[in-house]
Amino acid sequence: MAELPNTTMANECKVKLKSKDDKIFEVEYAVAMQSQTLKNALAHTGCTDTALPLHDISSQILAKVIEYCEYHVNAANTISEKDVKTWDEELVKHMDQDTLFRLIVAAKYLEIHNLVDLMCKTIADRIKDKSVEELREIFHVQNDFTPEEEEQVRRETKWAHGE
Amino acid sequence: MAQAMDIDDVYLAGIMEVLPDAVVQYMLSSIRNARDVAICACVCQRWREAMVHVRSLYFPRTVCDEKINQSDAVVNRMVLSTSSLEELIVYCPFSGKSLLAWLSHTSKTLKHLELRMDNLGEKNPGPNCPSTLDYIASSPHLESLKLWGVSLKQLPAWNPFIKLHTLEVVGVRAQDTALYNMLLACPMLKNLALLGCDGAKVVDIELKHLEQCRLDFYGIGDCFLNITAPKLQVFEIQGAAWIRLRGDHSLRQLSIANNAGKVSKVECGRLSDLESLSMRGVQWSWDAIDTVLQSATEVKNLVMKIEFSGDTDRLLPFPEINLVDFFTSHPRLTNFEVHGAMFAALSQKNSLLRLDDSFSMPCLEEISITVRSPLNADQKMTTLESLVKHGRQLRRLTVRVSQMKNCQETADKFFEKVLRFKQRSHIVIIE
Repeated sequence: MAELPNTTMANECKVKLKSKDDKIFEVEYAVAMQSQTLKNALAHTGCTDTALPLHDISSQILAKVIEYCEYHVNAANTISEKDVKTWDEELVKHMDQDTLFRLIVAAKYLEIHNLVDLMCKTIADRIKDKSVEELREIFHVQNDFTPEEEEQVRRETKWAHGE
Repeated sequence: MAQAMDIDDVYLAGIMEVLPDAVVQYMLSSIRNARDVAICACVCQRWREAMVHVRSLYFPRTVCDEKINQSDAVVNRMVLSTSSLEELIVYCPFSGKSLLAWLSHTSKTLKHLELRMDNLGEKNPGPNCPSTLDYIASSPHLESLKLWGVSLKQLPAWNPFIKLHTLEVVGVRAQDTALYNMLLACPMLKNLALLGCDGAKVVDIELKHLEQCRLDFYGIGDCFLNITAPKLQVFEIQGAAWIRLRGDHSLRQLSIANNAGKVSKVECGRLSDLESLSMRGVQWSWDAIDTVLQSATEVKNLVMKIEFSGDTDRLLPFPEINLVDFFTSHPRLTNFEVHGAMFAALSQKNSLLRLDDSFSMPCLEEISITVRSPLNADQKMTTLESLVKHGRQLRRLTVRVSQMKNCQETADKFFEKVLRFKQRSHIVIIE
C-alpha cells in the first residue's frame, strides 16, 4: 500500500483533501503534486481514499489554492507565460488583505513555491510608496516602539519620509 | 504536519500579528526599493527585525538631493544593517570607500551588483591607489555585475570572479589592455554586453563559456575584433571594421552593424546553425557581404540593410546578384527584409536568368522591400512579380516606397506601377 504511485496510477489517482471546516475537495494527482508538502505525504501513503486533513486551511482558502494549482497545471505547456502572468494578476487584483495573508500562510504550509512568490510580490506591491501610518492601518499592525525607539528609527530613515 | 495557530479565533487581534515570523520575514524580505524598506522598518518591532533579512536593495538616483556624502551615509546605514543581502543596486552617487564597506559586509551573500559609476570624468587615482573599480574585488561570489559609466584607465585589480556568469558594462572608456584584463578576470562568463564602448581599437575576447555577446563600439567604426567562444549562440556587434570569429561555434543569431564606418572583413567560419542574420551599415566590402551570405546557408530570418558596397572609400552599388542562385543557396529563408542596394542588385539585367517554373522558394512567407531609387523600374517590377509567382508560401509582400530619393517624375511613375501590381495581388502591401 505504501508505494510510490507509478505513472498509470498517477493518472487515475484522485487526491482527497479535507479543509478545517470538514469540506472535502477532490483534486487530480498532478494538481496535488504542485504542493511539496502533499507530494511528501503521498509518497508515504500512496494513493489513498482517505482525505488528507488540512487543519489550518478553511474551505474558502483551499478552494482558491486549488483554483491556482489547477490553472497552473493546465497552463504548463499550453498557455503563454504572458497570459499566465495576466491570469495571476487578475486573481490577486481585488483580493483583500485578510485573504492574501491566509493564502500566503496556506501556500507556505503546503509549500507551493510559485504561489508563495505571487503572494509576496502582491503584498510588496501594496507596500510600495506608502507612509508608515498607512502601512500600520492596512496591515492592522500596532506600533510597539517606545517613544525613544520610534524617534531613533525615524531619525535614521529621515530621508525616506520625505521630510 | 505541524499545526499553526488558528487564524479565525483571533480575527479581532489583527491578521498580521498572528502570522508566523517566518512568513512575515519572507514576505517583507522581497521588498527591494530602499525607501520602502526604510519605511517598513518604522512600522513596528517585528517589521524592523524582518527588514534585516531583506534580500535585495535598490537605491534610485535621487535618494538624496544633496551631495555625495549624504547619499553615501544613507546607503551605508541600510546596507550595513542587513544580514544576508543578495542583490545591491545603487544609482545614487557614492564614494569608493563606502563601496568597499558595503561589499566587505555583504561579501558572503552578495550575488548581483549594479552600480552607476559615472566616473568617466574622474581623474586618475594614481599608480598605487586603488580605484573604485578595484573595490569590486571585495565581492568574490558575484554572479552578475552591471556597471554604468566606467573609465578603465588602469587594469582593474581583480581576482578572477569564478561565479560571474553575466557582465554588462554600459558607457565605458577603455584601452585594449584594460578591457582584455577585465575579461580575463571573468573566465566563466556566459553573457557579456559592452555597450557604448569608447577607445578600444583591437579587442580580443576569449571566453570558453560565452553564450551571448553584445558589443557596441562608439566612434568611427574602425575597431578590430577577435573572438573565440565555442559556445556562442547569440552575437551582436556594432562598430567593427574587421570581425574574426575563430574556431568552432554554433551561432544561432548574428547581427553585424556599422553605423559610422565600413565593414571590411568578416571571418565567421561555417554558420550552419544560424537561424537569424542581420547585416546593417552604410558600407560593407563585397568580400564581407559575400563571406557571410555564403556561410549562412540555413538562415530563416534575414535582414539586409546595407546601403553601399565597394572595397575602397568610394561608395558603390552591389554587384549583380542572381535571384535563382541566391534563393537556392538559402532554401530555408522564411522572413526576408531587404533594403535598397540588395534589392537593386536582385533587379539587374541578368538577375532573373535561369528563372523557370521549377524554381521555387519553399519556405518564404514574408518579404519586406524598401525601394530607394526609382531607376530601373521595369526590371524591379519584374523581380517583384517573380517573387510573388515563385513564392508558394508567400503570405505577405510589403513594398516601402516612402523614402525614395527625389527624382520626382520617375518616382511617381514607379509608384503607379507598384500600385497596379498591388491591385493584381492580394498579398502585396504598400507603405
